[in-house]
Amino acid sequence: MALYRGTVLLALAALALAPAAAPAQEIKVGGLFDLTGITSDVGKPYAQGVQDAVQWVNESGGINGKKVKLVGVDYSYKMPEAVAAYKRLKDDEKVILINGWGTGDTEALKDTINKDKMPYISASFSAHLTDPQKTPYNFFVAPTYSDQLRAWLTWVKQDWKDKSRNPKVAFFYGDNPYGKSPMEAGRRFCKEIGVDLVDEEILPGNFQDATSQLLNMKQKGADYAYINVTTTGVSLVLRDAKKLGLATKFGSNPYGFSETLPAVAKEFAEGATGVVPHAPFGSNVPGMKKIVDFHQKNHPNDTHDLLYVRGWSYVVVWSEALKRADKAGKLTGEGVKEALETFKDFDMGGLTNNITYAPNDHRPSTKTPIFQIQGGKLVKIAEFDMPRKPEWLGL
Amino acid sequence: MSMMRCGDFRTTYAEDMAIFDTALARRLLLAFLLALLLLPLVATTYWLDVSNRTLIAVVAAVGLNILTGFTGQISLGNAAFLAVGGYATAALAGKAGLPFPLVIPLAGVVSALVGMVFGIPSLRLKGLYLAMATLAAHFVVEFTVTHWDSMTGGVNGISVPAPHVGGFAFDSDRRLFYLILPITAFLLLFAKNLFRTKVGKAFVAIRDQDISAEVMGVNVYRYKLLSFGVSSFYVGVAGSLMAYQAHIISPENFPITVAIDYLGMIIIGGMGSILGSVLGAIFITLLPEVLRLLSGALADTYPQLVGLLASLKMGVFGLTIVLFLIFEPDGMAARWHTIKNYWKLYPFSY
Amino acid sequence: MEFFLQLVLNGLVVGSIYSLVALGFVVIYKSTSILNFAQGEFLMLGAYVCLAITAGGRVPFLAAFLLTMAFSVVLGLLMERVILRPMIGEPVISVIMVTLGLSSILKAVVQGIWGTDTRPFPAIFPAHPVQIGPLPVSQGYLYSMVSVGVLLVLFSLFFKFSRYGIAMRATAFSQQVALSMGISVKRIFALSWSIAAVVSAVGGILLGGVRGGVDGALAFFGLKVIPVVILGGLDSVLGAIVGGVVMGVLENLSGGYLDPIFGGGVKEVAPFIALVAILTFKPYGLFGKVKIERV
Repeated sequence: MALYRGTVLLALAALALAPAAAPAQEIKVGGLFDLTGITSDVGKPYAQGVQDAVQWVNESGGINGKKVKLVGVDYSYKMPEAVAAYKRLKDDEKVILINGWGTGDTEALKDTINKDKMPYISASFSAHLTDPQKTPYNFFVAPTYSDQLRAWLTWVKQDWKDKSRNPKVAFFYGDNPYGKSPMEAGRRFCKEIGVDLVDEEILPGNFQDATSQLLNMKQKGADYAYINVTTTGVSLVLRDAKKLGLATKFGSNPYGFSETLPAVAKEFAEGATGVVPHAPFGSNVPGMKKIVDFHQKNHPNDTHDLLYVRGWSYVVVWSEALKRADKAGKLTGEGVKEALETFKDFDMGGLTNNITYAPNDHRPSTKTPIFQIQGGKLVKIAEFDMPRKPEWLGL
Repeated sequence: MSMMRCGDFRTTYAEDMAIFDTALARRLLLAFLLALLLLPLVATTYWLDVSNRTLIAVVAAVGLNILTGFTGQISLGNAAFLAVGGYATAALAGKAGLPFPLVIPLAGVVSALVGMVFGIPSLRLKGLYLAMATLAAHFVVEFTVTHWDSMTGGVNGISVPAPHVGGFAFDSDRRLFYLILPITAFLLLFAKNLFRTKVGKAFVAIRDQDISAEVMGVNVYRYKLLSFGVSSFYVGVAGSLMAYQAHIISPENFPITVAIDYLGMIIIGGMGSILGSVLGAIFITLLPEVLRLLSGALADTYPQLVGLLASLKMGVFGLTIVLFLIFEPDGMAARWHTIKNYWKLYPFSY
Repeated sequence: MEFFLQLVLNGLVVGSIYSLVALGFVVIYKSTSILNFAQGEFLMLGAYVCLAITAGGRVPFLAAFLLTMAFSVVLGLLMERVILRPMIGEPVISVIMVTLGLSSILKAVVQGIWGTDTRPFPAIFPAHPVQIGPLPVSQGYLYSMVSVGVLLVLFSLFFKFSRYGIAMRATAFSQQVALSMGISVKRIFALSWSIAAVVSAVGGILLGGVRGGVDGALAFFGLKVIPVVILGGLDSVLGAIVGGVVMGVLENLSGGYLDPIFGGGVKEVAPFIALVAILTFKPYGLFGKVKIERV
């Protein structure tokens, strides 16, 4: 018995001893992606965007001549796996920063990364991550979920023509930290601008059928509803709503609204609105050229959506931060954080609105475009700039 | 000093009951334990983290084996008992601020009590039906921890402070290893001894034939409940250690797949064998790591492998279980004994 | 009242699909005493295979459907011969674990081939709802309910009158007696696995059509069906039908009335709470054969 266990553990120890030495001219960056979990519908194109952009950065000069090595991990949108993967990226791979993904895992890791001084640039736009007093090492590249919801509610108020009463709004959200993140901000904002929040419905992790939730909402008579789950879930809700013949106007969040939505939900998606903080693939903006060129050169037959563009925009931000940190001679976690905090109205070439990180306010931007699906295409119908109120920091 | 034994020469009951055949076997085990103590000197933090998870899995697998392997009561609810232990730890250590020497046993006791409540259906139900009842228990517990926000933090999870006593905190993976290893060793020894006592023998009697156990004077109801209690105590302790080790726990730490993984451990390792639980737990915990290293080594040639890793893990897990059940239903422990017995009498095996 | 009726109606249609999958469970359990935890994966696999045939080969839907059925028959035979037959006579735990292992393998295969994205399914039902009285009902649900009804009638007739159906019932009653009457029990086992695979695949295709897309989440139907078969009685075809419909309605009612109170999730857990209650008070279900044991 002892011998067998010994062999197994010796083998384990031997594996552990294998050095993870990297050439000096290489900068290791960790990537936590969801390729197989419940958000993989949007996680995969995003991850591909990040990977392609890293390849592009390396092909066009790297970080002042140094190559970037992306160490990607698929954590299946599970918090425990994210925590384990983070330990490995930090201790074994010795990455300098992490390009993260979900709200739950990012918020779970926020104290750890703060202790480890590990810049953590995640795809969660949760406003809870914007107050540097609490989360100095967390960053993202978009307006907060809360500001996006506020922008959508502002649009609702504008779109509502019947002045005899306030528009009635319902919130649908996933039973997870991402789903719940902007809800408190939304509730308060509804009161401020005179929108009646009549109903909140929770969608469980792997829901198959939203009929009972929609029936509840129908009873409450909501005129508008904001769905805060990923594209697959949004498409299910839209379908079920059509089946019930509801007249409610649906809006969706930045992970539930992309070119993929009309492709999956087909005619049911017609007329749906959504917040779109990143430019759709192929839009006519200056920053898109390199992406389209890369796409033409490497995989011209693939289809891409704005999630792919989102992945690119992340690399644009952190590769610039690495360059600045490298120039300052501080290629460390702390140095990257300081470099990020020098971003002031940083021009993203239209991939997303310009980015600013102040040392006392990590809200990257406050402008949110609203799009609508018209004839199967994403059409921009409005854009709202939310004021940078101090009391909204972290909410 | 006696050598390894080359046959069965037991002459007294005491020898038959002994845990170790020979002094050599005992010394080898001791030497192995000492070697394990040195592991943190060579392993990186990540591999210590893996070792900690492996040891925790060993505790939980032994617990499940007590119930399913030794007493014959199928439980699909062990992830729920793990959750109870974990959340009890979060409450006792986080909210009440108790030191770990109190928290870990208390978490075990809380889990044992919950386990006994869910064990009540076992008084009426057997086999498949008990499996269904414990499956239902799992979902009920999962619902409770997801929605009892004030106690469990809901889907956002709840953070657990590092285990501490006096002014000392086990706040690194290295220190945690020195906390978890002795606990695991003690619980293994306790389980090994349990089956030399009346209680343990009663468990086995119930598994083998409950009617004859009853006839022989074993109070079947009492011992079934006791088995649920002991088993859930172990699983609860594992949950407690898991909470300490993970720093933050959420319902995602305890999905139904965890329960299936643990069942897989005892199937692959060997039902009704302490050694089997250990081997199975090591196997299943290290499987994803090995697959990851393999796919990492091949990633340059086959980059699509990274995306397939999750399905690969699942497929290999399922395949291993099926193959073991078809070709070696008694698990790795039985295989180990076969090999050992072969060498015992080598080269004159007849 | 309309709210209530709408919930009941939705429960009925969802429940009818539960009934179909439960039927597969029951057929296997009846003849082989194996509870198949991989039933949900059969369902998922069926949907994916059908999708692959239609989209990939540009084959008309009906042909794809028939080909999927043929595939399911082969799948069932293969599973029975390779994996389940060596398990005959093994303890319950081994049998449970082997089907759990099987479900992992099938899930891994599907994920490996088709990935985890939701794949759009061909629109086999018209999109706009029809009105039943005041209630709008999706046509997809109506069609699936009707096809489930037809299938269930067919199976009842099969069990009652066909040679193989009667042989299956005989085998379920007593394998030894069946053997001595010249029934090939092995063939019956193989047949029951094929039937289970076929009905699950039909369920998967219907669900794919109703949802408009297929993904790994379809496998969850396998777990949902467990309370259904326990309610109906593990060895009763009628029980599977009644159980499915009752659970569908229960789920939707608890979703409609209790979810707002508890903050979601009741819909998912309600069948399992019911399961505990059934096991406590009537462990052999509404129509199951009662075995009396006194230890």
